[in-house]
Amino acid sequence: MYETVKASINLHAVLRNMEDLCQLDDASAEAVGDRYVSIRFSVPEIDRLVLTFRNQSCQAGRGDELPYNMNLRFSSPEHLNLMVEGVKNPIPTKGFRHIGFLKDTFTFLAGRLESYLKPDHEKAATDSEYLKRSTILTAYAALYAVPEIARYDETGRKLASKIEDGIINVTVGDDFGLHLIAEKGRLRTMKGRSANARTAMMFDTFETAFGLLNGKLDSYTCIGLGLLAIRGRVSMIDNFNKLLGMVPHYLS
Amino acid sequence: MQRYQYPKNRELFERAVKVIPAGIPGHLGPASGCFIPVSAYPFFCEKAEGTYFWDVDGNRFIDYMCAYGPNILGYNHPDVDAAARAQMEKANCTTVPAPLMIELAELLVDTVDSADWAMFAKNGGDVTNLAMLTARAATGRKKIVKFVGGYHGVLPWMLDVGYPGVLYEDIENIITIPFNNVEIFKQVLAEHHGDIAGVISTPYDHQAMNENHLPADGFWSEVRQLCSTNEIVLILDDVRCGFRLDLRGSDYHYGFRADLICFCKALANGYSISALCGDESLRPAISSVFATGSYWLSAVPIAAAIRCIEIMREIDAPQIMKHIGDKFADGLINIADEHGFELRVTGERAMPILTLGDDESNFLLQEWVAEMVMRGIFLANHHNIFMNYAVSDEDLEQTFAAAHDAFETVRKNHPEMYR
Repeated sequence: MYETVKASINLHAVLRNMEDLCQLDDASAEAVGDRYVSIRFSVPEIDRLVLTFRNQSCQAGRGDELPYNMNLRFSSPEHLNLMVEGVKNPIPTKGFRHIGFLKDTFTFLAGRLESYLKPDHEKAATDSEYLKRSTILTAYAALYAVPEIARYDETGRKLASKIEDGIINVTVGDDFGLHLIAEKGRLRTMKGRSANARTAMMFDTFETAFGLLNGKLDSYTCIGLGLLAIRGRVSMIDNFNKLLGMVPHYLS
Repeated sequence: MQRYQYPKNRELFERAVKVIPAGIPGHLGPASGCFIPVSAYPFFCEKAEGTYFWDVDGNRFIDYMCAYGPNILGYNHPDVDAAARAQMEKANCTTVPAPLMIELAELLVDTVDSADWAMFAKNGGDVTNLAMLTARAATGRKKIVKFVGGYHGVLPWMLDVGYPGVLYEDIENIITIPFNNVEIFKQVLAEHHGDIAGVISTPYDHQAMNENHLPADGFWSEVRQLCSTNEIVLILDDVRCGFRLDLRGSDYHYGFRADLICFCKALANGYSISALCGDESLRPAISSVFATGSYWLSAVPIAAAIRCIEIMREIDAPQIMKHIGDKFADGLINIADEHGFELRVTGERAMPILTLGDDESNFLLQEWVAEMVMRGIFLANHHNIFMNYAVSDEDLEQTFAAAHDAFETVRKNHPEMYR
């Protein structure tokens, strides 16, 4: 089951991040250029992901019905995980004419994404824009990973079942926010802050969020120092935070 | 009304985090203690007396958390402290225990209805764990039934998967069912017939972050009967309620007899000691359990416990707690209503939990409690509070004055919610 959870996170949290990478990173947007390539990732046991690249942007979608012009098939969740680690290659079954995009552009984008998700801490200390982009992309990866853990991981399911129905806001200052919708033990991550949250986790700055997401700070200390505030249904935050704490188990 | 500021508290916390993980770990800290917003709360105590503590900035608080229960007679109670000091002059932690231990056991057996013997430890979790081991030793079975939201300490079996460090293997013999639901308990008995060693529960559902629920009519008598019929050890975790509801034990208060009963908190008015008392039939089992600790039989807390129990008996502490709790609750409910809020006070009046109506998110409650704390009234937004003997009518009046002011402030901040 570990490989399945990890693969679902790799698909729907990490690779999904291509969408935001192309918005935040000029070099990535330029690399996409005006090409139109729509790649479907087909992994057994896991919802399919379609990444559609065009007009210097990327759109991520989930499900079987989305259009695509290239299909990458994986024999197992582990196969996908090994591809993400650069150890194995996917099996293209449609769209061979886009192999060049896959080999060059997609590989370049994956490298850019990795540079933000495994950040250079020295650079982050001096380059606030880099730190901000890294924090946003890491936050997306982590918070889109949470519903996957809540869905596929046994402990994750148990924790999610304890989260009351409602919305959890996660924000950084006034600049950035996303929210998770909890409903009957299932979670969905949505971009932007909600006006109807039952509970909220509020980072004061990108520096704090960066430190916490990269394991350099702990939430308990940050709460005491006033760098991280919580509000509302604490039991929701408590179980959500435990789910969030499981992310590094799959994405370390 | 002046609102408190906490510059020295913050300064000390910044020093603390450099050498202590999380600065103040555990339930006394700002994270687990749900200090929301954190800016409203003090972090460090300078001194305490009666029902008050003063923080390091010199702010005085009427403390309705009572250190989460231990303070029952008032902080620094002169008689309890004198007994502890007198014993300290003789001996405390020694190679063989002081005979005072026997005196405390005799006093507990004489005071607690279901106690035929007593054993001592330090924290509540020590004795709830000891009770679990005793139930297994007595029955030769492995499963323990507990109730949803029941808090029995922080050992792995008392927690759940998802808590960092807790494994499925740690809880695979723990069955958790809803409180007040005998039918589900019967189903569990049928499913695990002959495999259940014990049932552990608090006297009523006093879980954190939610309204509390008293036992339904007949709940305890049915559970008691089912445990007896199935030869299951009934363990009452009276760590939090013990001596606040009834000196004879909270099982007596609710009309049943537990096989094992766990005490801590109010037992010694703040000195570190816990006790497990039990039925004669379990004496061989507990005698066989290997359980000990470096400080479990230290004499100073034992001396404090003896004096504390004597005083609680002299003054009939539970009646006083209830009386103060009634005045506290009725007063606040009326004040809330005057300001357009519905304050709900659930659980036992000696240790109620406060919630607000039309407040699914707890935002309003958190704001109101923060306003109270900044006015010198220390409450909790997530946990039951506690009454203590030292709360005077004047303290209650100050509490009510602060409540008026705090509700008024919250009301002004939320005109859209004002009914």
